Formats: sequence, C-alpha cells, structure tokens
Amino acid sequence: METMVASASIPFPREPANYDEASMHHTLLFSDSLKDLKNLRKQLYSAAEYFEYSYTNDDQKQIVVDTLKDYAIKALVNTVDHLGSVTYKVTDLLDEKVDEVSGTELRVSCIEQRLRSCQEYIDSEGLSQQSLVIDTPKYHKRYVLPGNYILVFSICIKCLLKTFLLFYFFRLSVSGLSFSSIFSDVSCSVGETMQGANVTKSKYQGCSQDNRDDWHEFKNGSVLVMLSLYLFWCDFSFCEHILVVYHKCTKMMDVIMKLFELQLQKRHQLQSEKGALHHLLRVLPSNQERFCSLIPCPKRNKHPEPQKSASMRLPAERDNRKEPDQFPSKSKRLLKALLSRRKSKKDDMLYTYLDEY
Amino acid sequence: MARAGGITEAVNVGIAVQADWDNREFISQISHNVRSLFDFLVKFEATTKSKLASLNEKLDTLERRLELIEVQVGTATANPSLFMP
Repeated sequence: METMVASASIPFPREPANYDEASMHHTLLFSDSLKDLKNLRKQLYSAAEYFEYSYTNDDQKQIVVDTLKDYAIKALVNTVDHLGSVTYKVTDLLDEKVDEVSGTELRVSCIEQRLRSCQEYIDSEGLSQQSLVIDTPKYHKRYVLPGNYILVFSICIKCLLKTFLLFYFFRLSVSGLSFSSIFSDVSCSVGETMQGANVTKSKYQGCSQDNRDDWHEFKNGSVLVMLSLYLFWCDFSFCEHILVVYHKCTKMMDVIMKLFELQLQKRHQLQSEKGALHHLLRVLPSNQERFCSLIPCPKRNKHPEPQKSASMRLPAERDNRKEPDQFPSKSKRLLKALLSRRKSKKDDMLYTYLDEY
Repeated sequence: MARAGGITEAVNVGIAVQADWDNREFISQISHNVRSLFDFLVKFEATTKSKLASLNEKLDTLERRLELIEVQVGTATANPSLFMP
C-alpha cells in the first residue's frame, strides 16, 4: 500500500536546458515508469496475500472485503495510468525516431541529387571537351545515305547487267541468230513491261526496223526496268538519288552500245557476203534451187516463228538451232569456190563440191 | 418470538444474497476492466511492433544509400583530376 502511494508522488521536473538534457530527462521518466510497472505486479501479489490472511484471521470480515474492493479499484486505475503513460512515451519515442529517419532520408536525397548534378556536370564538360577535340568530317547531303544502299545498289546493277549480257551473248553464240532478231526480242521483252501486249505485238512485227531504234528502246527500257527494280527494292524516300543512279546506268549502257556496234559491223559483213552469194546464184540459174536449199536465212524469213527464250527451248530444238550454225562457214567455203571458179572450164569442180552436201 | 426470529433469519439471508450479488458484480466489473486492459496491451504491442519494423526497414534503406554515397564520394576524391577545369 505504501509503495503505490510513493510511486504516485513523483517530483515535478524542472525545465531542461538543451536537447541532450531533455532527452535524458525523458529517458529517466520512461525508465521510472517501466520500473513502477514491474513493481506493480509484486505489490498486487503482496496485497492479495495480506487480504487473504486478514480475511481468515480477522473477525471483521466485511471491513476486510470493503478494503479489498477499494484497493482493487485503486490498483486497477493506477495500472491503467501507468500503462497509459508508458504507452504514450513509447509511441512518442517511436514517432520521434521515425521523424528523425525521415529527416535523414531527406538529407540523403539532397546529397544524392547534388552528386547526380555533379556527375551530369562532369559528363557534359567531358563531352564538350571531346567534341571540341574531334574534328568530324562534313559531307554533302546527297552523298549521305542511311546504310550502304549506294554500294549495294551498284552491286545489284552490275549483277543485273552481267546477267543480261551473259544471257543474250550466250543465246547469240548458241543459236546463231542475227543481232537484229535478238535485240528485237530484248526490246519486245522491255516493251511488255512498259507498254503492254499491243506494243509487244508491234515490236515482234517490227523486227525489220532499224537496229539503232531497237537498241535505243532496249537501252531506255532496260534503264527504266532497273530503276523500277531499284525503287521497288529501296525505299521511296531515296527518290532524290534517282538522277545519280540513272547517270550510272546510262554510262554502263554506253559501254554495251559499243559492244553492240562491233557486233553490228560483223552482221553487215555477213550480209554483204550473202549479197555476193545471191548475185552468183543469179548468174547460175540452173543450180538456183540447190543453192537456195543451202541458204537458211531467206527460208526463215518466209516462215517467221515466234522467238522463244533460251530457257523455254527444248534440247531437241537447241540441236536443230545448231544446224544453221554450220552454214556461214560452209557458205564462205562455197563463196571461195565460186569466186575461184572459171565459168567455161571448171563447172565440174562446183558440181563436185555441191555433191558433198 | 419464533415467528419474529424466522423473519429476521430470512432478512439476513436476503441481505447475504444481496451482498453476494454485489460482490459478484464487482468482480465481474474488475475482470472486464482487466480484460480491456489486456486487449489494449495486445493492440499496443502489435502497433509498436509494426512501427518498429517500418523504422528498421527505413534505417536499412538509409544505411545502404549512405554506403553508396560514401563509395561515390570516395571514388570522386580518389580521382581529383575529374574536378580539375
């Protein structure tokens, strides 16, 4: 009973001078409250033993019971006060520590922000120093393309040209066709892509036109086909480079034009030889039919067949195509024999030569 | 006399029963208050534990951030050429 009264009589604390003294004062009060709570258990147990002894030994039991009731009420109220005080102090201390941690987090965030700004400043300074040191080359806009499209495109154009040339020269060498028919085929194939079936038909019929016109059509058509392939293959945003590419293609086509002119000269030589041969055949009317059977070109002109591409021909047709290949050499030998012939005496030589066929 | 004694005895029994009921009521009230006090202590324990856990987490995070800042500051002070103009 005395201890409970003594615990309630706490002296009034004086004002703390600074933060450390105040914190020490709060800590002392908190520790005193915890000690009182610990002692409260012992006091209650001792009070319970005292009242039990008094109730059994004392005659005035009602007074003992009333005293016990009063003591229990006061002990409960005192316990609630102590617990309230302790819990309040604990909560206050925790809130204070949480506030301190929040303040510390804020300060750390400020330090991190300062460090980040210092790092950005150092990076920007280093970048500016390096950018002043490096002298970057400047190119004109039209020579700058994303990726190596010009390089890839030039390779593609070269491959296409090689394919064109190889295909048609192979066809020329194998089939022995004249250049006019070959390039009329080429111009017809270009005309199919450019102008449609009607124009194609007219091109087939126009195989006897001037070869230079056919060549120019072939050249322009091939350039346009390559340009359309390029536009299909590349992005349309590179249309500003079409002019450069067109000039490159025209230069390549000029080279092909020179080759074509060389082959054209050979063709004229061949035609002049054929003209001489026909002149000789008129001189010999009795043998005209036999000579005409030996000359393949007029027959082919009489019965024109639609030209097939090399890939569409059958092997048997290719073999048949090889037969006229022997005629130019044979016609040369025949021409020599005729030129060396003497009209009056050596007709027998010509007939013996013709019997070989 | 016997009748009066019987009445007095009955009154005493009634007073004893009333006192017994009063004592029981007092004990139940005390028990209820102690139980409320116990509930308060349980809640206080849970609240304090959660607050302490959050505080511990904040302190851990703060400790890691401080270590990172210490490393960064140490690196910066180890290379003073970075701060040269």
